[in-house]
Amino acid sequence: MKHTLLGFFLLLILLPAISFCQQTKNKFTISGIVLDKETGESLIGASVGIVGQKGLSTVTNSYGFYSVSAAPGHYQLIISFSSFKTDTIEVELNKNLTMQINLSKSSALLEEVIVTSRRKSDNISRPIMGVQKLSIEEIKNIPVLFGEQDVLKTLQLLPGIKSAGEGNGGFYVRGGGADQNLILLDEAVVYNPSHLLGFFSTFNSDAIKDLTVYKGGMPSEYGGRLSSVLDIKMNDGDNKKFRFNGGIGLISSRFTAEGPLNKDKGSFIISARRTYADVFLKLSKDTSINKDILYFYDVNAKANYKLSDKDHLYLSAYTGRDDLGLGSIFGINYGNLTSTLRWNHVFNSRLFSNSSLIYSNYNYVIDITAGTNNISITSRIRDWNLKQDFQYFINANNKLNYGIDVKRHSILPGNITASGTSSFNDVNLQKKLSLESTAYISHEWSATPTINITSGVRLSNFSALGPGTFYTYNTDGTTKDSSTYSSGKIVKAYTYLEPRFAASYKLREDKSIKFSYTRNVQNLHLLSNSTGTNPTDLWIGSSNNVKPEIADQVSVGYYQNFKNNLYEFSAETYYKDMQNQIDYKNGAQLRANENVENELLFGKGRSYGLELFLKKKYGRFNGWIGYTLSKSERKIDGINNNQWYNATQDRTHELSVVGIYKKNDKWTFSYTYVYYTGNAVTYPSGKYTLNGQVFFYYPERNSYRVPSYSRLDLAATLQGKKTKKFDSNWSFSIYNALNHANAYSINFQVDPNDPTKTQAVKTTLFKFVPSVTYNFKFL
Amino acid sequence: MIPLKNIKYLLIVVFFSLVACKKVITLDLSTAPTTIVIEGNITNEPIPYQVSITKTVGFYQNNTFPNVSGAVVKITDSTMGITDSLVEGKAGIYTTSKLFGVIGHTYLLDVIAEGKEYKASSTMPKQVTLDSISFLTTAAFGKFNTNAVVNFQDPPGVSNYYHFIETFRNIPPKQIHVFDDRISDGRYISRQLFNDSTIIHRDTVDVEMQCIDKNVFSYLEELSGQDATNGQPTSPADPTSNITNGALGYFSAHTTQRKRVVFQ
Repeated sequence: MKHTLLGFFLLLILLPAISFCQQTKNKFTISGIVLDKETGESLIGASVGIVGQKGLSTVTNSYGFYSVSAAPGHYQLIISFSSFKTDTIEVELNKNLTMQINLSKSSALLEEVIVTSRRKSDNISRPIMGVQKLSIEEIKNIPVLFGEQDVLKTLQLLPGIKSAGEGNGGFYVRGGGADQNLILLDEAVVYNPSHLLGFFSTFNSDAIKDLTVYKGGMPSEYGGRLSSVLDIKMNDGDNKKFRFNGGIGLISSRFTAEGPLNKDKGSFIISARRTYADVFLKLSKDTSINKDILYFYDVNAKANYKLSDKDHLYLSAYTGRDDLGLGSIFGINYGNLTSTLRWNHVFNSRLFSNSSLIYSNYNYVIDITAGTNNISITSRIRDWNLKQDFQYFINANNKLNYGIDVKRHSILPGNITASGTSSFNDVNLQKKLSLESTAYISHEWSATPTINITSGVRLSNFSALGPGTFYTYNTDGTTKDSSTYSSGKIVKAYTYLEPRFAASYKLREDKSIKFSYTRNVQNLHLLSNSTGTNPTDLWIGSSNNVKPEIADQVSVGYYQNFKNNLYEFSAETYYKDMQNQIDYKNGAQLRANENVENELLFGKGRSYGLELFLKKKYGRFNGWIGYTLSKSERKIDGINNNQWYNATQDRTHELSVVGIYKKNDKWTFSYTYVYYTGNAVTYPSGKYTLNGQVFFYYPERNSYRVPSYSRLDLAATLQGKKTKKFDSNWSFSIYNALNHANAYSINFQVDPNDPTKTQAVKTTLFKFVPSVTYNFKFL
Repeated sequence: MIPLKNIKYLLIVVFFSLVACKKVITLDLSTAPTTIVIEGNITNEPIPYQVSITKTVGFYQNNTFPNVSGAVVKITDSTMGITDSLVEGKAGIYTTSKLFGVIGHTYLLDVIAEGKEYKASSTMPKQVTLDSISFLTTAAFGKFNTNAVVNFQDPPGVSNYYHFIETFRNIPPKQIHVFDDRISDGRYISRQLFNDSTIIHRDTVDVEMQCIDKNVFSYLEELSGQDATNGQPTSPADPTSNITNGALGYFSAHTTQRKRVVFQ
C-alpha cells in the first residue's frame, strides 16, 4: 500500500509536466484576479466568461484567480458577481494576457434590473450538489438570539442542516453527528466551533468573507469528516484605505480595523469581539457573585502581501477563548487557536499553485477546588498541516485540481494534576500521535454544452503512531494484550480510496438534473456524552481498536430557475450509508481513562431524505423556504438488542422560512420561522423502586420524540444618516416572538407536591427575548 | 469521579435561570411489559438480611409497586457452603434466618419468581474505616450551599468502591453517592456529598458508608447517571445488573458503617 501511495504522490508531482505537453495549440489565455474596486478584496466565485462563446467561462477560485483560454480574436469579457455590477471588457487576444478586474458594488435594489448573467444560473449548470452558500449580507440581516450575528445558526435555516438543540452552535448534516462536520477557517480545522457551551458560534461575521457548506458531493480536495464541509474564508482587509467599524450589543461588542500595508500591495484586518456579562457580575456587592467569571472573546487577524505579479502571501490567525468560573469553586477555560500561512504562486496563466502551512489547536483547562481538593484537568488536540494545491486550467472545457495534504495530529486526552492535599492522584494519559496523509485529484470537464462532469479521487492514509502502549480487549471487556511501540513506529495504518463523482445535465437553459456519489472517511472521532458540542468532549484517532468511519452517499437532484433567475428552486434526495459508527457502553468512563477505547461500541448507520429549497434571490423582498423530510438510523452492537433505532439526529420534518424586506433606504425588516419534529429521544416506559427511591425504566433506545419545535424571530434595521465619513445603524430583534415554549430539556421526577406521583418537567430557555445592537462604520 | 457530567447542566441552569422556565407537561408515554425488580443486601451488620421483589409500573401510575409473593428465594454463602432459604414475611419481602454477612465471603442469590429463575453473585469487600463527617460551605451566584464531607483513608494498591447514603431533615435521598478509587488510589479522601438541598444550622445528618463490590458499583453509578436531576444524559439506559435473566435491581454484599453529626 505504501508503494501505491508513493506512486500516487509522484504522479501528482509530475502532472504539471505532463500537462504542459498537451497545451492546446493556437489558443491564448487571459488570467488574473477579480477584486472589489472599493476595498481591493478578492472576490471568490465570481464568474468570468466570453460573450457569445458558450462554454467559455470560469469561476474565480478562493483567491479570486481566474483563467480562460480561447482562439486568437477580439472578444468581450463579461465578469459578474452577486451584489456587484456586471462588467464587460473588450479584449484583443493575440497573446497570453494578465488582467486584473475590478468590480464595483451595486445596491440591492439595482440588481433587480441587471441583465441576467451567466453567474446567476451557475446553480443550474455546474455539477455541484448539496452545496449552499450564504452571503454575509444575508447573515447580517437575519435575526438571531441576543442580536449576535451567527453564521452557524443562520446555516441551520438551510434544508438538510439541523440545529443540535435550542441555541446550540452544534449542527447535524443529513443525519450525521455534530463531530462529522469539517469546519475550516482559512483552511485550518476549528475543533470546537462554539462559545458559552454552544450558545454562540466562534465565527465573528465581521471577519468573514465567504462561507460555503457541502452537504454531499464534496470536491476531492476536502475530506476527513463524514457529513459535511463548512469552508469559511476570512476577509483580506481593505488595501486602499483605512476603515474602522464595530458594533455594541446587549451581550457583546465588536471592533474591526483594516487598511493597506502598502497601497494596492497588501492589507491587514483585525477583528475582535468580547462579551461582557462579567462586567455586570462585577458590579454586584455580593461576594459570591462578583467573583464569578463569564466571558468569551474572539480575535481574527489577517495580512496579505503581493510579492510580485505572480506571488502573493497570506497570513491569517484566529484565537478565541471562553472563561467561565463559579466563584473559587470551579473554572473552565477553553478555546481554539489557528493560523495559516499561504503562498499563492502563478506558474503561468494556466497553472495556479497554493502552498499552505497550517496550525490548529484546541485545548481546555478545568480547575476545581472543593475544600482541600484542588485539581486541574487539561486536554488538547493540536495539528500541524502542510498542504500543496494545484489548479490547472487546461482549456475551456477541462480543469484539474490536485494536491497533497499531510497532517500531524497530537492529542493529549486529559491529564489530571492534583494538589498534595487532594483526594485525587495525578493522571497522565499517553499523548496520542498520528499522521494523516492524503493526495487528491479532481477533473472538471464540460463534456458537452449540456453535460458537466466532475470526477475525482482522494487517497487517504491514517497512521496511528507510537510512542506508547496500545491495548487490545476481549469481548467481555478485559484486556487481552498490550504492546509497546517506540517513537514513530506505526501502530496501525488505514488506507482508503475515496471516489468522488458528480454530473449535471442541463435539460434547458434554466433546468437541470444532477447526480453525485461521494465517499468520505473519518479518522478523528469525538467522544461526547452530550447532544451538541461540549467543551470537554474528547477527540480520539482511529487505532488498533477504532476503525475509520466511512460514509457513502448517493444523491440525485432537480434544479430550476424561474423568472430570469430571480427564483431558484432545487429538490435533492440522498441516501447515505455509514460504517463503523461509534457509541458507548452503559456507564462508559470517557475521562481520565487509559482504556477509553474499551468503553466503545461500534455499528452502522443509514440516513436518507428529501430537501426542497426555493429562494428569491434579489429585490426589495428576498428570502427562502426550505423543507426537509428525512430519516436517520443506527444499528450498534450492544444497543437496543442490536436492532435498528432512530438516531438522536432523526427528525422527520423540518421547515424554515426566511424573509428580508428592504422597505426603503431607512428600514429593513426580516423574519425567520422554524418548525421541526422533535428529535428521537429515550423517555421512560415505566418506573420501579429501589431502596425507597423511584427510578425510571428505559427498555428502548430513542423510541420517543421530543415535542415539536417552532419559533418566529423578527428583526428590524434602522439605517442612520450616512455621511462621507460615517455610517451607522440600529438593529432591533425579537427571538421567539410568538413566545412558544419549546423544550430545552425534559426531566422526569417524583412530584414534589405529591410523592405518590411522578411527572415530566419541561424546561424552556428563551421566550420572547428582545435585543438591540448599534453598528457603526468609519469610512 | 468529579461530577463533570453535571457541570454543563449546572452552568446552563445557573446562567439562564433568569429566563428559563419550567412547566409540568403530560407526555404520551407507553407502559412497557412488567419487569421483575430484585433488591437484595447482605451486610456485616447483625442479621437478618432481606431480599425484596417488586414489579415495574407505568409512568403515570401511582408510586405503589406491586410486591411479588410466593417466590422461592435462596442465598448461598459459597465460601462456607451454607444455603439459606428465605422466608416471606411481609408480601414481597424475603428474610434470611441462618446466614451471617462476613467480609471476603461470596454470596449467591437464586430467585424463582413467576416461573423464571434469576441468579446473582456478590462478594463482600474489606471495610474501609470512615474517619469523620465534616461540612463544607461553598458559594456560587449568590447561593450558599453546605454539603457533608466524608473523610477516610483509601487503602493503596486495591480497587475500592464506595456508596454513601445521606439523610437529614427527613428529606428522602435523591442523589446516589457512589465513587471508586480509580483516580484516588491510596489517597486520603475528602469528598463532598453533593445535594440539591443545602444542610442548615442544627441539622442532624446521618451518613451510611457502604463498601461495595465492582458490579454493584457499576450498577449504582449507571443508575445515578440516568437520574435526570443529575444532568441530561443523551440516551439514558437501564443499568447493567448483576442479576441474570433481565431483572432490574441488584444483589449486594457490602460492609456498612453509620455516623451521625449535627451541623453547628
